[in-house]
Amino acid sequence: MSIILGFLEEGLVYAIMALGVYITYKILDFPDLSVDGTFPLGGAVGVTLILAGVNPVLTLFAAFLAGAAAGCATGFIHVKLKVRDLLSGIIVMTALYSVNLRITGKSNVPIFNCQTIFENDFLASLIPESVSSFTVLIILVIIVAIVKILLDLYLKTRSGYLLQAVGDNESLVTALAKDKGLVKIIGLALANGLAALAGAVYCQKNGNFAIEMGTGTMVIGLANVIIGTKLFQKVGILKSTTAVIIGSIIYRGCVSLAISLGMKASDLKLITAALLLVILVISNGKEKKVKVHA
Amino acid sequence: MKKTLKTLALTMTALSLLTGCSAPTAETQSGSAESSSASIQTAEGDTSYIIGIGQYAEHGSLDNCREGFLQGLAEAGIVEGENLTVIYENSQADNSTANQIIDNFISQDADLICAIATPMAQAAYSGARKENIPVIYTAVTDPVAAALADESGAPVGEITGTSDKLPVREQLEMIRALLPDAKSIGILYSTGEVNSESTLAEYKELAPEYGFEIVEGPVTSTADIPLAADNILEKADCLSNLTDNTVVNSLPVILDKAAKKNIPVFGSEIEQVKIGCLASMGLDYIKLGQQTGQMAAKILKGEAKASEMNYEIIEEASFYANAAVADTLGITIPEDMTASAAEIFTEITQ
Repeated sequence: MSIILGFLEEGLVYAIMALGVYITYKILDFPDLSVDGTFPLGGAVGVTLILAGVNPVLTLFAAFLAGAAAGCATGFIHVKLKVRDLLSGIIVMTALYSVNLRITGKSNVPIFNCQTIFENDFLASLIPESVSSFTVLIILVIIVAIVKILLDLYLKTRSGYLLQAVGDNESLVTALAKDKGLVKIIGLALANGLAALAGAVYCQKNGNFAIEMGTGTMVIGLANVIIGTKLFQKVGILKSTTAVIIGSIIYRGCVSLAISLGMKASDLKLITAALLLVILVISNGKEKKVKVHA
Repeated sequence: MKKTLKTLALTMTALSLLTGCSAPTAETQSGSAESSSASIQTAEGDTSYIIGIGQYAEHGSLDNCREGFLQGLAEAGIVEGENLTVIYENSQADNSTANQIIDNFISQDADLICAIATPMAQAAYSGARKENIPVIYTAVTDPVAAALADESGAPVGEITGTSDKLPVREQLEMIRALLPDAKSIGILYSTGEVNSESTLAEYKELAPEYGFEIVEGPVTSTADIPLAADNILEKADCLSNLTDNTVVNSLPVILDKAAKKNIPVFGSEIEQVKIGCLASMGLDYIKLGQQTGQMAAKILKGEAKASEMNYEIIEEASFYANAAVADTLGITIPEDMTASAAEIFTEITQ
């Protein structure tokens, strides 16, 4: 039971970040490595504020804003300074390592004894003992649902449509007399804001911040997005954002399964790679068939 | 919809194939589980235990901790394969894997979780406190800074263990005895490890008492080490290591550069002296593990609760030296030190 709860929880936390990666990778077609820095940035901002006595819910907004600012930096470097997309992300990710250490002051900050969104006096009085083991899951479902609905609503606004247009056809946006650079910066800000929000939630859930927690975030995000969108691309009723969330849970489930089957942690990356390859190959085969029919 | 189902089915098959590859490991593990569950039946009345050992990284000292831990348990009559099933997992220095390893232990109904190194101990406490499974840690340099114990050393919950705090004062004393003219000690450390920061602070505080000045060499990753080593070797008269994982992993590179400049490097534990550090006032991690194992046995047998036991440290440090290194550097180790040494190595193992 706890192993199922464990991967559902982890999957949901990473789903918030994966929704961000979905914006950059799927919508904007921008391989954004800065999430490796903004995920821990959110954590750093979150735990520092919590230790300063700020309300844990407010720290989530602060983390989002910090991540969005870092995303703007990536966008600015790419759009205004004309640095290639991958490199802009790497530059910001590298810089954030030092920034994160500056914010927290040390590389590992525990917040076990602090009030968090998952553990506070209000919740303790609200939730009966019998369902207390599901508290974390319930709160995560609420957070992810809010993020997903807001993102869906945003994508339907004027700015959201422009965002999707930039990824599909840049010249269309220019033809509409809109600044495609600005649209990209907004997309990156949103994506990194979500990554930072995920980082803040992650730290509150696990009770500590560690500087190395960001390593490999981008790869996890990509895996979640690809698993989700490729597996469910033909199911019309399912929105892509929902698919990404489910993909994120499936991915964590697979990792969990691998561990409980006794696989070595050192082989996990290989399994991730193989899983991604299998899904990509299967979905490629499907696309070809569709074309033949057409 | 049909196609999606087909894709799902295919993915599942692919997954099961993948997991099939690892069948040998899975079998050996479940094999040991079976043999011990068999022993529950044969030895009726005797209790049998399941312990999940989560180790943060693959690393000589941490491996020694694990070995010592099992020895300590065995001394108390809890023997692996007889009345003890051990589930061992290594997170290969990945925090999110560490969390899942702990979830796995909890779902396998472990009676106790042994966490080796700070990040694993924090993951274990974070996961196990909801389930009320006791956690015992080892190789945590500063349990107070890691929020696993309060200022007085009392646990914050059902978690206790042993600390591998370095004997900094003894190390400084030893360096002074071996190098009477040295003025500065260079210390390479990674900015990402909290243990290194607290030990470095202690070095800086105590160094003036022994007439030393500390030269800091911060690195952020393994890639920084060659440059940082070149730089610090220009400024310092000798180097002293912490238990910093990044630096210790790259020790051969540092030793090679130091040897070319004829600068002695002091280790923080026995394994480092074996591979070419001049000397060390260090901990014996096997002993540390044994001490941890004895604490775990008390908890398992119900003699004490984890929340009632303060964390422990190893009081005495032992002197280790490498005579081959001393020869090449032209340093003579004083006779009283040789006499009291726990071990003197005569060659450099690669």
